[in-house]
Amino acid sequence: MKRKKKLNSRPLSSYFFEIFMLCVCVLFMIPFYYLVVNTFKTAQEATKAPMALPRTLFLENYQRAFEGMNFLNSLTNTVIITVCSVTLIIIFGSMAAYAIERRQNRVTKACFYYFLIGFMIPVQSIIIPLFLVLQTLHLQNSIWGLIVLYTSWSNFAMFMYRGFLSGVPVDLEDAARIDGGSVWKTFWLIVFPLLKPITVTIMIFDVMWIWNDFLYPFLFLSSSKKGTLVMEVYKGVGEFTNDWARMMATMVIVLIPIVIFYIAMQKHIIAGITSGAVKG
Amino acid sequence: MGKFPLKSKPPMCGRMVVIMKIKKELPYLLLILPAFITYTILTFIPLAMTFGLSLSNWNGSVIKDLKFAGLTNYMSAFSDVRMTTALKNTLFYAVMNPVCVTILAIPLALALNSRMPTRNFQRAAFFFPSVPSILILGYLWSYIMSPMEFGILNKFFGLFGLDAIPWLSSPKMAIWSVLIVSVWSMVGWHACIYIAQMQGISSDFYEAASIDGASKAQQFFRITLPLLRPAVASSTLLLLTSALKVYELPYALTKGGPGSATTMLTQIVIQTGFINKKYGAATAMSIIFCAIVAAIGFIQYKVTHKKEV
Repeated sequence: MKRKKKLNSRPLSSYFFEIFMLCVCVLFMIPFYYLVVNTFKTAQEATKAPMALPRTLFLENYQRAFEGMNFLNSLTNTVIITVCSVTLIIIFGSMAAYAIERRQNRVTKACFYYFLIGFMIPVQSIIIPLFLVLQTLHLQNSIWGLIVLYTSWSNFAMFMYRGFLSGVPVDLEDAARIDGGSVWKTFWLIVFPLLKPITVTIMIFDVMWIWNDFLYPFLFLSSSKKGTLVMEVYKGVGEFTNDWARMMATMVIVLIPIVIFYIAMQKHIIAGITSGAVKG
Repeated sequence: MGKFPLKSKPPMCGRMVVIMKIKKELPYLLLILPAFITYTILTFIPLAMTFGLSLSNWNGSVIKDLKFAGLTNYMSAFSDVRMTTALKNTLFYAVMNPVCVTILAIPLALALNSRMPTRNFQRAAFFFPSVPSILILGYLWSYIMSPMEFGILNKFFGLFGLDAIPWLSSPKMAIWSVLIVSVWSMVGWHACIYIAQMQGISSDFYEAASIDGASKAQQFFRITLPLLRPAVASSTLLLLTSALKVYELPYALTKGGPGSATTMLTQIVIQTGFINKKYGAATAMSIIFCAIVAAIGFIQYKVTHKKEV
């Protein structure tokens, strides 16, 4: 009863609390304000008053940033790498999860524990042999090599799919099997559509992970023609450290696509975590 | 498998059973195959190779005259000052990062779970720093923490009459600066994990407690906190493993410096392997690193499992 009363008429303190939280929010977001606002200033103006709003809309930083990077090329590379890797991760991960969850015998159980070991292996501890493996496969310094590398981490998707599948009733599949459908058909036509909520969650987190990854492109994609967006920032820092307004413009350009993705997917992202799907 | 209904003639039966079994199991095994192959070739075999190479004397760009070198690489890794410093830094960071994030994320989750008209906006804003690449955030903060005039952090403290703090140039301060940026970027994400758990707590508990006259603080410490334990376990596991593997952030913020104050294990492994080309030494360090991550991850997993039952 008490709670209901509170709902209808908010006490004054709750307004103060909300205002306080909004202030914290603003403080929290200041680094991004600082980043964006200084890209529209001349170097002098930015140094003198880094927090002030720009007096005029100065766009030369962006012009120079675009000149210093190969934006379209990097964007295309990043999109190809991300889309291909995430698609393959979802296909491989969901298929393996289905077999492991629905067909429990010694072989699939062994596979499950075998995939489990992957959680304990940090990427950085296998990079030296990975270099040799990629060389043997003639995939070094190629975006296809990178895609194959990301796809090899489909065991994480497998675990999430497996958890979700254990809550999906088998009746539908059994009916399809009795009607003479093969395992392959049953999986793709009946089961996979049912997995949509977890597929969306996995897709979002893998897109954010692969799009933002620095280590793999840094180590395995050294050619400047094949760089990704994050690599553009890294290269920019090496080339024009002192021209910091231009550096910040480069960062903003690189951040725009993923921020658009976040805004478009924001509901799913926060719903995905708060529903408890991503528990690690 | 004796329960299998046998309809075929006795001499053929053993073979038929096997064939039928394979026919039944094969489609499932084929579904596992793609993940199995990529994982084996690009994760498991490299791990085995790392282990093999760590016992060899391979220190050139081409593999030739490989000899068994025993544990020499391991001995030299442990006597390498850079390695032991990096180990200390990594362990310090791996302990402090989960602790700081958790201490801030739980109150934040509590606030973001209360009834406010702007609640969804606030959640989205606090989550936002997890969206950009951490490398870019590192570079951004290297400007914010800069001692130059555009370093707004010192300017901000200057407003309160505080002296300029050498965020990135003092060896003592630098690792705390890395921690500050990392906590800032992760706290919203982990607050969301706690919100998930809080939404599962029945409001009956709080109603009963307030009827019994429990204060808000008592309700938090006696009801909310104990019931958040599963979320604490999974959130800290995520934080711990990602903190042990941290590479981009110190690399962008401080380049591991000043000196070796923020050099982490991953940086040492990559430097030794890819820049100094001492593969034998680097692979030994990799195995030590991997063993530490596995051991800590295993302990955490065991603790988590106990709590969640």
